[in-house]
Amino acid sequence: MEFARIKNRFIAMVFTRFPSLARSAAGKVPPLKFDQSPWAPFTKPLASARIGLVTTAGVHLKSDKPFDMADSTGDPTFRVIPSNAMAGDMMITHDYYDHSDADKDINIVFPLERLRELAAEGVIGGVTERYFSFMGHIDENHFPRFLEEQLPQVAAMLLEDGADAVLVTPG
Amino acid sequence: MGISIERKFTEQVRPSRAVFLKWPYGHPLGEAGATRQHRVVLTEAFKALVTIEKPGQIIDLPFRWKREKYE
Repeated sequence: MEFARIKNRFIAMVFTRFPSLARSAAGKVPPLKFDQSPWAPFTKPLASARIGLVTTAGVHLKSDKPFDMADSTGDPTFRVIPSNAMAGDMMITHDYYDHSDADKDINIVFPLERLRELAAEGVIGGVTERYFSFMGHIDENHFPRFLEEQLPQVAAMLLEDGADAVLVTPG
Repeated sequence: MGISIERKFTEQVRPSRAVFLKWPYGHPLGEAGATRQHRVVLTEAFKALVTIEKPGQIIDLPFRWKREKYE
């Protein structure tokens, strides 16, 4: 593994152990900013609602193309994960947070088994056929592609799959 | 609805609804293997989906990292 990736992973481990350092560093990253919150009233009973899942934790199928760790400014693309995938079918490619615990139990960043359980118990009505994953390290140069191309594609597919609400999880 | 572990970013991105946990990166649902903990977080997120009426509201969840029992 190249030196830059080893360095990023080491920093990610330090940040997980010392969250205040992580928050201080995160404050220096130019973030996406919006003036308003999007809004749609949620009127359906939860027990009949179909829930989608989107993560920025860098999860993807082992058989899928990993996120680009060679570009130090990030990767704005997304991966599709069938909601009936097994935990063992997935892996994480994301050098900017320590995912050693998530490697042991993917549900702590991408709760697909928990959602499946809640659907089986009737707490939620069901889940969408497809889930979606980004790798949350995306610098400003990638914002246009992320916002104007990739996110709208994900939103369209969630609508196509009949999502009533979407759970978004970070890494 | 979003689960946030970095409140500052969430305030800037302004998702329609969010719950915030002051937990370490890589652990928005909690600890590996802690099924009950994951379910508590999901339950709170779904509660927020139903109860939040003001766009952009973030609910601070009271759970302390590794100092709670989930039974």
